[in-house]
Amino acid sequence: MHDVTIWQALLVGLWAGIAAIDQFNGLTHIHRPIVTGAVIGIILGQPTTGIITGGTLELVWAGMVPLAGAQPPNVVIGGVIGTLFAILSGLSPTTAVGVAVPFSVAVQALITLLFTGMAPVAHAMDVAGLNGDTKRLDWMAWIEPAILFVGFFIMGFLPALFGQNVITPVVKSIPRWILGGFQAAGGIMPAVGFGMLLKIMWKIEYAPFFVAGFIAAAYLHMEILPIALLAAAFAAYDYFANQNRKSSGGGGGQTVPAGPTTDDDEEDYSNGI
Amino acid sequence: MASEEKTFKDVEQTQIPDTYQDPTVRKVITEKDLHKMVWRSLMLQSSFNYERMQGGGWTYSLIPGLKKIHTNQKDLGYSLLDNLQFYNTHPFLVTFIQGIIIAMEENKENRSTIRGIKVALMGPLGGIGDALFWLTLLPITGGIGVSLSEQGNIFGPILFLILFNAVHFFLLFWLMDYGYNTGTRAIATMREKTQEISRAATMIGLAVVGGLTASYVKFAFTGTNNVVAIGKMKMNIQTGIIDKIMPALMPVAYVFFCYWMLKKGRSPLTLIGITLLIGLVGAAVGLFAWPAVIK
Repeated sequence: MHDVTIWQALLVGLWAGIAAIDQFNGLTHIHRPIVTGAVIGIILGQPTTGIITGGTLELVWAGMVPLAGAQPPNVVIGGVIGTLFAILSGLSPTTAVGVAVPFSVAVQALITLLFTGMAPVAHAMDVAGLNGDTKRLDWMAWIEPAILFVGFFIMGFLPALFGQNVITPVVKSIPRWILGGFQAAGGIMPAVGFGMLLKIMWKIEYAPFFVAGFIAAAYLHMEILPIALLAAAFAAYDYFANQNRKSSGGGGGQTVPAGPTTDDDEEDYSNGI
Repeated sequence: MASEEKTFKDVEQTQIPDTYQDPTVRKVITEKDLHKMVWRSLMLQSSFNYERMQGGGWTYSLIPGLKKIHTNQKDLGYSLLDNLQFYNTHPFLVTFIQGIIIAMEENKENRSTIRGIKVALMGPLGGIGDALFWLTLLPITGGIGVSLSEQGNIFGPILFLILFNAVHFFLLFWLMDYGYNTGTRAIATMREKTQEISRAATMIGLAVVGGLTASYVKFAFTGTNNVVAIGKMKMNIQTGIIDKIMPALMPVAYVFFCYWMLKKGRSPLTLIGITLLIGLVGAAVGLFAWPAVIK
């Protein structure tokens, strides 16, 4: 039942690697199971089974899309492993899904690890950026795609070569608390990014806007778009109120406080009084 | 250009100035540059990480334009550093913001205004994009493809790819031009009102960051060992205590912890280390959830 040549396994790995890049970069969606199924089927000489399995897996992953940056069970490995085992083990497409999902959950945890581990690279990019070194930034952009390619190449190649019975125990042996730890850290990590944004943008007079945005999302479960629109409404009000105050000449020292880090705005407003 | 190489320490001590060493406005961006940046925008998530998300890829895609605009090496450095900060939006709508921002950079708008507009736009477009593409375009084109695939028809995947990418690439190119023209047109008005617009953009930007703090930062004790006993009473730390005080309390507290540490001059790398430690220790003692059992 298991007669995959090394060449076929290499091709499966190659496709998994390419698809892994496409799922984050390019987004031509050749990484979706509907395409991957057909490709794996063609590589293994069973195009029809591949196409049909790909279609079934596509439906399974129809709702599992990256919303607001949250990673669903990995769709690339789901498509590759699902089709692989459907063809190699003669599983029905729906059973193949059952085999594929645990793999993609494990790979999702690995992706979380990667996205956590890549944070220091962003700081190396800061240094390159401040130096105006665009050449360095250009090649650094390929670090993560390269890691994705190699990682997924291996995760496609090995199962294709060794089959389900060898691979499943390996996946099971990863300690779950470590996966959970990276997942938790990955969830918290945007806080560091927001902290840096606040360091740049924060001014105590704008604090009410931060608080309002937070309350709207935390308590009222509002989407970001209506929050931004509401803030825009208040900002517009603030703008016109300041215009009126300026034209009426009142307000005394209460001139418009300018955006952050401007020192010489008095001159701009003095001629309005 | 024999200025000495900047290091991590320099980055931490850098205050990005609001104005430029070379404030001369030159119209240098051509249609070809815009298209180059569209192709580069395909790498928007190339350096994706949980701290900055698309910040690296966003900057990568702007590089051809920024290089041409900021011929002064210092200006280029500050612009790159500014753009490398946290960024996240929808990859199919990003070129619209790119177009606007590159028009603003070309006109040497104040850095705080550019930053404010960038942050104010990214969140809303991200939300729209999720609904429009992941929850509408993908299911529709996928559904059409699958209906053929189910019969073993190779045109299933092919049709899916054609339909999906026709919309995808049309949007990327059209939105870039549209964004750039919008930006250029809007700038005439903005010129006279730089201060006011910077103020408004910062207000909206901070409201968005406040909203993102509540919805993006996932900091909840959902593990199996998250119950404390108070006398005879057993309380769930997350649902029984923290959520009762305030929803998203941990995220906002941690964001301000980070802000405070950064203000004190601590390196963001330290914060990443601390965050990792919290995750691993928390998971080990069962405060954070573990992934499902692999069968």
